[in-house]
Formats: sequence, structure tokens, C-alpha cells
Amino acid sequence: MNFVQLHLLLNHFPIIGTLVGLGLLLISLVGKNGDLRRASLIIFAAMALVAIPTFFSGPGAQGAIKKLPGVSEALIERHQGAAMLALLFMEITGGLSLAALWQSQGVSRPARWNWSMSAVLLFSIVTVGLMTRVGNTGGDIRHPEIASRKNGVAEELMVSKIVHAFEPSPSKFAELMTASKWWWAFMMDLHFVGLVLLIGTVGILDLRVLGFARQIPIDPLHRLLPFAMAGFALNLLTGVLAFTGMDQYYTYDWAFWFKMLAIMLVGVNVAAFYLTGAFESVERMGPGDDAPPLAKFIAATSLFLWFAVVTLGRYIQSFSDTISVHK
Amino acid sequence: MAPPLFLQTIEDTGFSTWLRESESPFAFYFILLFHTFGLALLVGANMIVDLRLLGFARGIPLAPLKRLFGIMWVGFGINAVTGILLVIAYPTKSLTNIDFYVKLTLIGFAVWVMQRLKSRVFGEAALSEEAMTARGVTLARWSLFLWFGAITAGRLLAYTYKYLTFP
Repeated sequence: MNFVQLHLLLNHFPIIGTLVGLGLLLISLVGKNGDLRRASLIIFAAMALVAIPTFFSGPGAQGAIKKLPGVSEALIERHQGAAMLALLFMEITGGLSLAALWQSQGVSRPARWNWSMSAVLLFSIVTVGLMTRVGNTGGDIRHPEIASRKNGVAEELMVSKIVHAFEPSPSKFAELMTASKWWWAFMMDLHFVGLVLLIGTVGILDLRVLGFARQIPIDPLHRLLPFAMAGFALNLLTGVLAFTGMDQYYTYDWAFWFKMLAIMLVGVNVAAFYLTGAFESVERMGPGDDAPPLAKFIAATSLFLWFAVVTLGRYIQSFSDTISVHK
Repeated sequence: MAPPLFLQTIEDTGFSTWLRESESPFAFYFILLFHTFGLALLVGANMIVDLRLLGFARGIPLAPLKRLFGIMWVGFGINAVTGILLVIAYPTKSLTNIDFYVKLTLIGFAVWVMQRLKSRVFGEAALSEEAMTARGVTLARWSLFLWFGAITAGRLLAYTYKYLTFP
């Protein structure tokens, strides 16, 4: 598989997924259906996760096609700028969705309407619009038959021109990220602080489910999870900024891609925890109680996957330039 | 001022050279990896205790959190060993950088605070939760501050050194 295939495989999910999620959310409003609302929030969170490697697979796909006849760098830049803005709104929508699920007392119960649901509605509408533009600008790169071009640049509607005014220029943005070593050091520092927030809270919860320090009841420990979410958000932000700063460095690196795979599997594991009844089986566990095997299995998988994420992240530096395809 | 000669002596040993120059994934990056794991265990577990003392997740009874100090010491042990190995790999780089001593000082104070937390808050089984919190709240604040500083100083080591190897 090369980067073009990976990009095409992934890029339909956030575009169509957010549209499906928004559809379910609107239907749930009309029918006052809490389960449907919950489903839409889970879809938004999942799409926010998938959007990360989708975004990261862009520069590799660019490397594969940029020398082909008829491919315009300007169109690719426009697509990338659109993708950066859409990713920002996608991640905010995903984060708000998790906040809304959290406020509804758990992923496994029908979602109630509150301020965060209103915010999800607002941001998901914007995200769907921006995703449409990402899809359009991406399609223009390899489908000259669907866009009318002038001097290699596709002609745009007024609304697209307005949105474009808010999109960053990818090359200038990359320069900004790498201009000062202190800014880079600061981002990497925050990435480690995020790591501690994340692994500290999730790791202790996993260990408790596995039977360590049984005197600690699960429910209050679980309430520390927003700290883990804050850590993930911090690392997502600093990670994406670092990637946009040095995309060639990360793109051709096996350790980076296996790290992304491990993070996607973390998403699957978290879904397994909250949607299979494993969470309900442990949430009322008090001092001394022992968790059932399924919950223990998921906790062990969580520890293993986070172990893998940290390991692969640490090895990015030593695996640079290990992928030679289309470089 | 030239760096002292003993740094070159350390660097020239076969072990230091191997740590620094080996292409094996089990050399330098392996040690760096375990330094990160140690960090997660030590500061992660300490952070849970600090947050609880500062009023988050009040439903967690304080007494059983004493078990987390075991995790902290495992993390500290891993990082003491891997930290020494990292210094052996790049003695000139670390020992000629003032930030390295800032980091060690911050860690020294953070570990001292950690021990104070253990003895003052968790040392007497008869204390009520209120008494434990009252004794621990200032220490918890210092703990978070010092560990944040130690992580930052540690991260900055990669960007502030004057010599990578002996000149």
C-alpha cells in the first residue's frame, strides 16, 4: 500500500461520517431520541479520531503525485489549507462530543440536551461544510473534468473564496512552526506533560481494574478521566502542529505510522470498554471488589497499547527516512 | 573555558561509545524510551495523589493511594538507572549544561516533597481525611509545580547544550 491508497482509503470517512453524524443528530432533535443522539456523538468522536491519520497521509500522497503531468502545486496547497481548517473544527466537534457524552453520565446512556450538545450541533454543521470543501478541493487535484480551471487554479464560488480567507497557507504555517527552536522545544515539552496527564490517569485506572490497589473504588478514579482527555487534546494539538512543521520528517517514518495505528486501536479499545458493558460491570466496584475478565482484558489491552504508543513515539527519531516509497 | 578532561575519558570508553553510536534499536533510544516510561510512572502516579489532595475526585478514599508511592519509586528507580546511562552516553553534553543541574535540583526537591507527602499525609493511619488533606494541600501544589519544572528542564536538555561531544 502506498500513501495515495492510504489517503483515499481514509479520506472518505471524515467527510461522509460527519454528514451521517449530523443527520442522526438532527433526527434525534425532532424525535427527542436520546439513543440516536448518543450514536451521533460517538460517530463524531470516531470521525475526529480517523481524521488525524487522514490528515497525516496527505503529504505522502502529495509526494507520490506532484511530479505527474497536469498536477498543480497550487491546487494541492489549497486542498491542504482547507484540510487544516477542517481538521481544527473536526477535532473541536469530537472533543465537544466527548464532553457531551461525559455530561450525560457515560457513553453507554442516552444523551441529554445541554450546552455542550448545542455546541456540538453548531460545530458539526460548520465541520460538514468545511469537510465538503476539503473533498472538493481534493477532488480537483486529480479530476480536471469536474473543475473549470484558470492557470492551474480552479475557479471558485463566492462562499469558497470567503472560507479560503480563513485557511492558513500550509508552507507559511510550516515555517512558523520551525522558525524558533524555543517554540519547538515548548511544543515537545507540552507533549510530555500531556503524556503524563494521559498515562498517569488511564494507567492507574487500568491497574486498578486489573487488581492493583483494590482498596480504591473505581467510580471516583474514573472521574479523573477528563485529565486524560485534556492530556490527549494537548498531545493532539502539539502533535499536529509538529507534523505540519516537519511533514517530510514524519511521513517517511515507520515508527510514526505504527504509532498512529496504535492510537486508532486505542480508540477501538475505548469503544469496547464503554459499549460492551465492561464499564457498567466495573463502575460500581467498591474497595476490594474484583473486576470481571472482559474488563480486565480491556484494561490490559489499554496498558499494552499506550505502552506501544509511547515506545513508537520515542523511536520516531531513530526511524526517520525508513520509508522510501515515492519520496 | 574548556570542559574538564574526565568527560573525554568517559566518552572514549567502549560502553559510552556503544551507547552513543550503536545502530541497534536497543542502545540509546531504548534507554531514552525507558526514561520516558519511568517519567510516566513517577509523575503520573504522583500527579494522581496531588490532584486528589487538591480536591479533584474527592470520592477516592485517601488512605489506599499510599499504594501509588510504590509505583512512584519503581519509576524513580528506572529513571535513576536510565538517567545515569544517558549521562554516560553524552557526558560532555549533559554535564556542561547548566540546565542539567537545574533539572537535578528540581527533581531533588520534587522527590523530597514526595517523601514529605508520604510521611506527613500517609504516615499516620489514625488521621482523618480532612486532617490528611490539610497537611497535604501545599505539598501537592509544590509537587505539581516541581515536576512540571523538572519535565520542562529535561526536555530543554535537547535544545540547550553547548557541546554534543568533547570538543
